[in-house]
Amino acid sequence: MSQANTLMAVLVGVPLVGAIIAFVYPRLAVSITAVCAGVMVAAAAGLTRLVLSSGVLRQDVGGWAAPLGIGWQVDGLSAGLLLLTAAVGAAGAAHRAFEALEQPFFWPLWLFLWGALNVLFLSADLFNLYVALEVLSLAAVALIAMAGGGALPAAWRYLLASMLGSTVYLLGVALLYGRYGALDIALIADALETDLPSALAAALITLGLLLKAAVFPLHFWLPSAHGRAPAAVSAALSAVVVAAAWYLLVRLWFAPFGAFQGNGVGVLFGLLGAAAMVWGGLLALVQHRLKMLIAYSTVSQFGFGLLLLPLAGGVGAELAWRGAVVIVLSHGLAKASLFLAVGGIARSQGHDRLDAVGGFGSGGVLPWLALVLAAASLLGVPPTGGFAGKWWLLQGALAEGAWLWVLAILLGTLFTAAYLSRLLAVLLRPAQRGPQTGRPSPLTALPGFVLALMACGLGLALPALERLLSSALVAGGLP
Amino acid sequence: MGWLVLVFDGLLAAALIWLAWQATHTPGLFRSVISFIIFGLLMALAWVRLDAPDIALAEAAIGAGATGALLLSALGRLVATHEEGAPWQERRDLYFWIPAGGALLGLLTLAAWMLPSPGLGEQVQDALPESGVQNPVTAVLLNFRALDTLLEIGVLLLAAIAIWSLGRMPLPSAPAVRSPALPALGRLLFPMFVLVSAYLLWRGSHAPGGAFPAGAVMGAGGILTILAGAQPWLTGSVHGPWRMLLSLGFAAMLALALGVMALGQPFFAYPPGLAGLIVLALELAAGLSIAMSLVALYLAGQPPDHWEGEARGE
Repeated sequence: MSQANTLMAVLVGVPLVGAIIAFVYPRLAVSITAVCAGVMVAAAAGLTRLVLSSGVLRQDVGGWAAPLGIGWQVDGLSAGLLLLTAAVGAAGAAHRAFEALEQPFFWPLWLFLWGALNVLFLSADLFNLYVALEVLSLAAVALIAMAGGGALPAAWRYLLASMLGSTVYLLGVALLYGRYGALDIALIADALETDLPSALAAALITLGLLLKAAVFPLHFWLPSAHGRAPAAVSAALSAVVVAAAWYLLVRLWFAPFGAFQGNGVGVLFGLLGAAAMVWGGLLALVQHRLKMLIAYSTVSQFGFGLLLLPLAGGVGAELAWRGAVVIVLSHGLAKASLFLAVGGIARSQGHDRLDAVGGFGSGGVLPWLALVLAAASLLGVPPTGGFAGKWWLLQGALAEGAWLWVLAILLGTLFTAAYLSRLLAVLLRPAQRGPQTGRPSPLTALPGFVLALMACGLGLALPALERLLSSALVAGGLP
Repeated sequence: MGWLVLVFDGLLAAALIWLAWQATHTPGLFRSVISFIIFGLLMALAWVRLDAPDIALAEAAIGAGATGALLLSALGRLVATHEEGAPWQERRDLYFWIPAGGALLGLLTLAAWMLPSPGLGEQVQDALPESGVQNPVTAVLLNFRALDTLLEIGVLLLAAIAIWSLGRMPLPSAPAVRSPALPALGRLLFPMFVLVSAYLLWRGSHAPGGAFPAGAVMGAGGILTILAGAQPWLTGSVHGPWRMLLSLGFAAMLALALGVMALGQPFFAYPPGLAGLIVLALELAAGLSIAMSLVALYLAGQPPDHWEGEARGE
């Protein structure tokens, strides 16, 4: 039994065991979540080290090799996302624990969400991924609904959109199974032929995932769901859950569906990405609430991630790959930090209306510092992680002479600057003391601040990122 | 004989599409729900025609039975509205959806026609002796792809937690006519449901059956007992057995998946020779949890810490 097998089993088993304990013994919920968080951060870090030292890891679950059984696979991309999940999961849990709200069911739901994400980033089996998506969506819906009031219709809409996405995805998976008698991504990639069933399957799976990733014009459910959920939940949804759907899209379009690339499909993804940047940016500019602004920013930022697909086939592929993945990772850290910071500010002020919220220092200094640092990384100010990602993506586009996508990246950055300036303009106002009801612990702001530091610090870890995201550590290789 | 079967299948398929249309587009909610229940029953028949009796059992118990009861009880709690909504003939969006749906259906049919349908049947048969059971469906569900089943059982637990997180269960609506015979009948019938479930569970190792149909039948029995007016003896307080029973199947599978690692096996790899026993134990735990989850879904909220009336006296 190898070390890799143990670490993967820990990443799947520990949060799920924690969820059961937190449900059956609600009194232990916070402490058990803390233990799980510690273990999972360590396991994700250990797994990343292992990938760096021994390459792509592959493991048969239960000792049954594919096509009969289910395979786990970790490469540079999944290791990065597992680390992001661990960071955001731990920070969100800490934020929630410091908030000290009386909602004992939050903890098992949070651990279920976390466990589902880990399964999703480990699994190499299309049906297993479907089940993981199901667990993920259900936990996310319940967590959104915890905010009560206006969050209930938002959660309901998210449930319907998510179920539709899952069903369409499953239809595609069924076609692929019927065609190739396999569910393992690598086996299907080897066997894939460009015939009608495969093309239809690719279209259905992509449609389902685009809906789950809230890619323009299928983003209609995201802003209200992410804008109304409790702060920690918005952080996890915007940072990791959307990234999970993006991850699957990239994984599938790089390996099995890569055969369909080149018929303008890449360009279509690029155009969707560019449209998402512009539309999400425009709507972020006209929002009246801080959380809604940040939620629309998620729609716009994942446009950058989609630009990877049109750039994947050319000479700048490796640069674009590295850039897009770093953008998604640093977006995750920065966006989670923004949501946690704004959650703290909104709690101290009693609302999050942009025109009435107080300036720097209202409700503590730490959330405002986190806000500034996270915004800097989101915008791509050197030397943050956001800068490194955008720089590499731009380099990749320039190397391929893809001027359309260069323009899209610049335009997207311009929009980011425009809507973030609305956020930063608030800073200059005089500090306000909100209604001092239920003064939150000053520690509440700490997890968000740590995430913001990590988003900025990512730009200083470039050599490690370069190694982790090198083409040698891509499962199935770059196309 | 051949053409008769063909006519039957054709009628079945046509009826399914007609009922699906009725369930989604008929103006009255009550008629929709009834169409949906009949749809579930005919769907079960379709699964029988496709030689999948396991799915047929689950479909009849869950798709028609439990879901139907859930929808009917939700209907009973809805505030009666007289807004019927626009009849489907006046809905403009159907001009888009009907051609789009038709095109998708056509493409899917064409694609399905082209499928060679190799499946994994042969590989499953080859590996069956090592799985510990003789029923290929059980072997896939609880051995080859046990991780999927673990997560599916997790979905059931998660659904119960999600519903509990939304609030306490609404007060049960009192039946219009209080009959002392109904609860008694419910109690009398429940052991029969348990017996059928136990049989299905035991059968699962060598023939169609297993945890899902068994749990579904027992859950349906539980719902019927509650419908008849009997109150569950389980309370929703932290110390009540609800939480343990709901988690039992999931906890047992997880404990096993991780426990075998202490014996030096990889995650979820059953020690050789013990597979049959393990599968049976897991089926028992999973079946119980499935039944409990279905009843929990039907209660539509966290049960009270104490039940009023008869349950406390017992």
